[in-house]
Amino acid sequence: MSTRFEFSFEGKPVTAHEGQSVAAALLDAGERCLRIDEAGNAKGAVCAIGVCWECRCSIDGIPDTRACVTEARPGMIVYRQHGLSPCADP
Amino acid sequence: MRRSVVVVGAGPAGMAAAIEAAARGCEVTVLDESARPGGQIYRQADPRLSGTEFAEPTELSRKKRLLRRFDEILHAIHYRANTIAYAAFGNGEIHVQVGDRTEVLKPDAVVLATGMRERAIPFPGWTLPGVMFAGGAQAILKAQRTSPGRIAVVAGCGPLPIVVASQLTRAGTRVAALASLRSPLAILRSPAGMWHGRDIMREGLRYGRSLLRASVPRLTGYIPIRALGKERLEGVQMARVDEQGHALPGTTREIACDLLAINYGFIANSELAAMAGARIRHDPDGGFWLPETDDEGRTSLPWLFAAGDTAGLRGALVAESEGAIVGAAAASAVRTVATSDALTEAIAARRRYSRFARVVRQTLVVPVALWRTATDDTVVCRCENVLLSELRSALENGHHSLNAIKRNARPGMGWCGGRMCLHSVAVLAELHAGVAPGKMMTPRPMARPVPFAALAQQKRAVEP
Repeated sequence: MSTRFEFSFEGKPVTAHEGQSVAAALLDAGERCLRIDEAGNAKGAVCAIGVCWECRCSIDGIPDTRACVTEARPGMIVYRQHGLSPCADP
Repeated sequence: MRRSVVVVGAGPAGMAAAIEAAARGCEVTVLDESARPGGQIYRQADPRLSGTEFAEPTELSRKKRLLRRFDEILHAIHYRANTIAYAAFGNGEIHVQVGDRTEVLKPDAVVLATGMRERAIPFPGWTLPGVMFAGGAQAILKAQRTSPGRIAVVAGCGPLPIVVASQLTRAGTRVAALASLRSPLAILRSPAGMWHGRDIMREGLRYGRSLLRASVPRLTGYIPIRALGKERLEGVQMARVDEQGHALPGTTREIACDLLAINYGFIANSELAAMAGARIRHDPDGGFWLPETDDEGRTSLPWLFAAGDTAGLRGALVAESEGAIVGAAAASAVRTVATSDALTEAIAARRRYSRFARVVRQTLVVPVALWRTATDDTVVCRCENVLLSELRSALENGHHSLNAIKRNARPGMGWCGGRMCLHSVAVLAELHAGVAPGKMMTPRPMARPVPFAALAQQKRAVEP
């Protein structure tokens, strides 16, 4: 069985399996909205292979990081981006 | 000094090309965006994740066999994972990003095995979280050991929605409906073509059987016309379409779901070929913009080759056999290689599976009327939030080439570089202004977003 650990999304703990992407762990946790775009639309994972860039999040302070191709790691801090600002509470 | 071949992409075509070029004494470098080889079709989960990927055993054994062959040559090549080729120039340079730095490579030959991405068709509500590509949903099943939804509607055309619907049920997702543009039984009209792909047809039948066992409702001749929900997908409005793809009034029905997985075929990842200056042809349902290639993958540039779906949609089995043929051709282009008959098998396999691919391709023909589902307030370019109304005013103002439309209305100027929308912009320009969609926009670096910091840390390969 794969090892489980926690990281944080919007300040709340989320469980992930070792080797999973951030996007997959968030889908598992029922989190569908990964970003609010410049027009205020909620956006989620679409292509899941790094093409569309819709799932980009702020991960460990680095904005515009694709959740679908970033491996989840223990203690990671993930925020939704809102429009052009890296996260809701910069 | 050994002559060098760079292969871009480690899917079936890229792996097979690398194997053949290495066997012919070339110094081979494989550049791949992913962490592990396999490409999209043979995508591998992280080995630390347990569980299964819900695919048919025969498909899994094809995957294992090729990955094992690639593994056996790893010691003899430079396999570079997490490496993004973001530019190709007419002088033969390939620019790559690896983490926080970039490199300029100048090999003797380049084989593009960059595959395809899924073809999006915009419709109202399609930007809601929960609306995904069917292949995207499958990528999560394959590599993440989880399902992207609890209640799914799967839609589109061709074989992928059938496979994905079946794999979703195996993963425990309830598939509320599998909708297809036209009956999958249409393929039965080409028995000869089917015979060439009989092993793949058998897999298809097994997927079909598991859909029957799970009592998945089928909607033949239906497409999604509106995704419903506020912050996330809550349901989908489906409508019946006629042969030309026009939605028929009075046929709409709503289905509750939290995942809408759609596939309308594929678009070739041909940006690097075009950026390098290779001649490009237009094939609406076979990958849209494709580099012109001969039987051995030569493009119009002497140093540039293309193999597999990058050179025209034909699927994984053609990609694998063609990769071998093109890898050998690239090797003979850069060094004198004693002729070998080892390719007989690859040539026969490509011929056989190409015949099957031509049959499958009929199922991926999409009528342009499907783009009529988009309304004036539908987002066409997701990155820049360009609405259909804005695209139409650019067209009315006389901006007709893709370059002009892009400059004036911004579709394709965002993060994805137009990979999600430019084919739609071309189709919509044809639909709303009668512009022929043949000409691609002029591809400029970067084919992927690259941080300035990485550009500042650039290493140039020593000229041979």
